[in-house]
Amino acid sequence: MHHDQHDMRPIQKHPLNVRVFHYILLLSFLPLAATGLLLFFKPLSQSGMQLTYDIHIVAGVVLSLDALAFTLIAFDRVVLFIARVFSLSERDVKWFMVLGGYPQKFLLGKKVPVPPMNKYNSGQKLFGACVVIGGTVLILSGLVLWLIPHAAPRDAVWLLGQAHLVAGLLLTAFLPVHLFLAVYRFDDFKAMMIHGNVPYHDAAEYTPLWVEQEIVPVTANQQRNK
Amino acid sequence: MNNNKHEFAEDSFFISRRKFMAIGSAFLAVMAIPVGWFASKVASRNDYIKSRSAGLYKDDSIAKLRVSHANPAVEKYYKEFGGKPLGHMSHELLHTHFVDRTKLNS
Repeated sequence: MHHDQHDMRPIQKHPLNVRVFHYILLLSFLPLAATGLLLFFKPLSQSGMQLTYDIHIVAGVVLSLDALAFTLIAFDRVVLFIARVFSLSERDVKWFMVLGGYPQKFLLGKKVPVPPMNKYNSGQKLFGACVVIGGTVLILSGLVLWLIPHAAPRDAVWLLGQAHLVAGLLLTAFLPVHLFLAVYRFDDFKAMMIHGNVPYHDAAEYTPLWVEQEIVPVTANQQRNK
Repeated sequence: MNNNKHEFAEDSFFISRRKFMAIGSAFLAVMAIPVGWFASKVASRNDYIKSRSAGLYKDDSIAKLRVSHANPAVEKYYKEFGGKPLGHMSHELLHTHFVDRTKLNS
């Protein structure tokens, strides 16, 4: 497709508060995943493990405050996100049957029909659900394991430790997939990392239902909010 | 293409108020579940210690000898071997020692 055939009119996809939340999440989760793996395998010396543990705690507090602040300040965004990632339809089954057409595109170089998606595709929704549930598990269990590991009931501490491990490994396993697909979908990458907007043609191609059902010209919102 | 120049955005409230309330309260309810679970765990955390001490008190109340210094075996130990309570030999034999095995300082 030639460039000037693309509709470049910007659609706001990620508002500023979401982007700030995502940046703090990114800057705290990357060290958390790295130090979490180090704490699990314990390859370093006593002082090295001590430093790893301290970094894990500081980054964990930053992530927890980020999540708490975003939930309080932008509760509407949290509810919208939950409504999106926990919605399930026949289209999601069909999407997973072709895995969004990505393996066919990467491995065979051919394009297969993909069911129309809303703001997030089915894979992103699965990831989002894992982040909401796993992130909550990680934050709550991490607080207990950090602050009251000896005062809390020991069977509860053991259970929370296992939950922390499983959720941490799950989200860490998602991380390389998320990074790769984020950079692959470069218009969306720029939207989350820089200005929040995706060009109309990109949104219409990857998220047609979102454009069709939820996107309005900004003047319509301004009129409604008056 | 920067933030204040976008021409389209999400409809400011595309889900109904009823659905928003339902999802929001479901979210808060789910968040309350782990708190409730942990609170009940904390409330019952000493149950096995309490039943253990209740059993010890019960054993004591039906025991013939109810104080350790009246135990003939202990009396015999001090008379024939250990000297006196808190003495040098008893200290060596009966007191335990601890080794600090702490791995993490914080």
